Amino acid sequence: MSVNKTAAGLTLAASLLIGVAAGAQEPGITDKAIKIGIFGPLSGPNMAYGFDVVNAAKMYYDKINKEGGIHGRKIEYVVEDDRCNANDLVAAVKKLVEQENVFMLNGGSCSAAVVAAKDYVVRNKVPYLMLNASGDGALFPPTDYIFGAYSISQYAVGGAMVEFAAKQFGAKNVAYINHDDAYGAWNLEGSKKDAEVNGVKLSVESINPGINDVTAPFLKVRAANPDAILLVTYARPAALLIKKAAEMGFNKPIILSVTGTASLNQLAENVGKDALKNFYTQEVMIDSPGGAKLKPIYDMYKAAYPDLAAKPDHPQTYMPYGIPPAMSLVKALQDAGPNPTREKVLAALKTQDFDSGVMAGRMQFGPEQRAANRSTIFIKYDGTTMAPLPGVFTSRWTYQAK
Amino acid sequence: MSSPPVASSAPTRRALSGPALIGLVAAVIVAVALPVFTSGYVVYIANLLLVFVVLCLGLHIVIGETGQFSMAHAAFYGIGIYASALANRAVDLPYPVAMLFGAIVAGAVGLFIGVLALRMRDIYLALATFAFGEAMQWVFANWDSVTNGPNGLRISPARFGPIEILSDKQAYPFVLFFCLVIIGLTVAISRSRLGRSFRAVRESEVAAMAMGIDVRRARIVSFGLSAAIAGFAGGMFGLFQTFIHPDSLGFQTTILVLTMVVVGGLGSIAGAIGGAIVFGLISEVLRQAPQYQEIIYGAILILFMMYAPRGLFAFIGDRIREARHGR
Repeated sequence: MSVNKTAAGLTLAASLLIGVAAGAQEPGITDKAIKIGIFGPLSGPNMAYGFDVVNAAKMYYDKINKEGGIHGRKIEYVVEDDRCNANDLVAAVKKLVEQENVFMLNGGSCSAAVVAAKDYVVRNKVPYLMLNASGDGALFPPTDYIFGAYSISQYAVGGAMVEFAAKQFGAKNVAYINHDDAYGAWNLEGSKKDAEVNGVKLSVESINPGINDVTAPFLKVRAANPDAILLVTYARPAALLIKKAAEMGFNKPIILSVTGTASLNQLAENVGKDALKNFYTQEVMIDSPGGAKLKPIYDMYKAAYPDLAAKPDHPQTYMPYGIPPAMSLVKALQDAGPNPTREKVLAALKTQDFDSGVMAGRMQFGPEQRAANRSTIFIKYDGTTMAPLPGVFTSRWTYQAK
Repeated sequence: MSSPPVASSAPTRRALSGPALIGLVAAVIVAVALPVFTSGYVVYIANLLLVFVVLCLGLHIVIGETGQFSMAHAAFYGIGIYASALANRAVDLPYPVAMLFGAIVAGAVGLFIGVLALRMRDIYLALATFAFGEAMQWVFANWDSVTNGPNGLRISPARFGPIEILSDKQAYPFVLFFCLVIIGLTVAISRSRLGRSFRAVRESEVAAMAMGIDVRRARIVSFGLSAAIAGFAGGMFGLFQTFIHPDSLGFQTTILVLTMVVVGGLGSIAGAIGGAIVFGLISEVLRQAPQYQEIIYGAILILFMMYAPRGLFAFIGDRIREARHGR
């Protein structure tokens, strides 16, 4: 063996050893697997927000594993139930990081709960990619470790709705009904920017999410004689307001935010088809749930979970939301190279920009941008047919450090 | 509605039996050594359980000792969390002082509620305190300039002199210490003249008055003490948790603590402590069975109500006594 060959052999051996040593220093990584922690509401009243979203993420990781994994490593996942509750979510995160020694985290469907984990994740420098939580409180101001809003940021929800009302209906006076909670505050702040740019006057009415009688707030917004009503609420107040509008003979457009219903069929049953004559709903995916553009995702679900797919109302509406965060995690690991470290993955995430093929907008991060998606489509729904309208509507709001 | 059933009408003053003493010593050793041989996650759960123990002891004073219904415990707990966190952040009060401040603010509000509650009892008192709890949650969620409203409030890391608490393991000795202090305080109250007056009110307000006990004072003080202890639990929460959201301070938390106290054994300090630990642990363990956890939790509650209506510890005590007497 020549001296050159010996030197090359030694160099290769040293590189391998350094590589193995570097990998060994990182928790959750072996030469065969990368361990990630998934969490979401798998039980309780908010289960519909996360159960099938977790399933979607899992099936995507299984697909990647079948295709050979990432640089030869398989993704190994551990799943925890966070019950959409702050204490439980923090317990789940701590268990995954300190007991399961995961490399990175992928979870959370409820915004208030995920914010509770922010300090812990940042202190421990764990890469954390949210599932479908908008999680604005954890994304702004930006940190080096938390990435999210793969479905959409709440700051972007209201803004995109105002944009739609202005462009589609030429609305200049818009009634805006939001919640008096974190969601409501965030989306209203985002809306103001688009209202200003489009010369739209917002008549805002903030209601409690638990409201039972919406007569008073509805009469107040109707008194402003709006060109359209934007409902940026959860399902129950939305249904009450749509029903009330029909009872009061309001026939101008009603536009419902993506948070307003998990099932349009259920909404139609609750309010009656007559209430949906001039009704539009926001959707953050490229197509209506179950639509042709999303067929590959639904087919993947049927193959992965045949028993669940056979049940009525499955997959749940939010199921595809689990795909983009899983894609983002896989892409960041691929971009981090064959010897990934948490810092390399975080660096890859900060410049990530890709089309998920699932959401209306691109998944884009940047130096001050930790919320991936800001775009939506709108669907006309008459109680029977969902007809996506042409065009993608994007919020103009961007984070400004205070 | 009559006063709630209690495990015993008077606190026991007997010395601990041999096995009980060994068990207690073992529990203390395990509690002290916990951070050495477990992960931060286990220590986080231990911290949370110790906070629940203090919360349950607070509720024990008003319900278990004095026989007054209160459904406002989550509100007092929340007042303690917000007051201590804000005092620490706004005027940079040393954290132990901030914790005391939280307890005092919660206690003062509790005294006020106690005064208002004087003319009410049973279901009316339960409804009034429930309404207060709901109102306080609304205040937490809407008083933006103070509580940061629906965005939730970030709690600054607690500092004890040069030590800044940045992990559950660092917080644990302090949380354990404060929990033991509150246990000691509750035992002292229970054995004091004040504790006896509480129990006299619980058994019969008319008889208590006939004995010369100031029922009005006992009820007010009971509410105040209970609220102050709940507020102190809030301060303890801020030792290891860095964020609070109004959603965590609703009726569900009150019901959870009430369940712990009732199932542990109403009227018993050991019951309140045991209920908090056992049900806190059950809740955490059941997260591993998400599909069935609510069914299992419900089944456990029903079984307790059917077979151990006086609480877990009274049930265990009865079984031990039966075994000793060969029955």
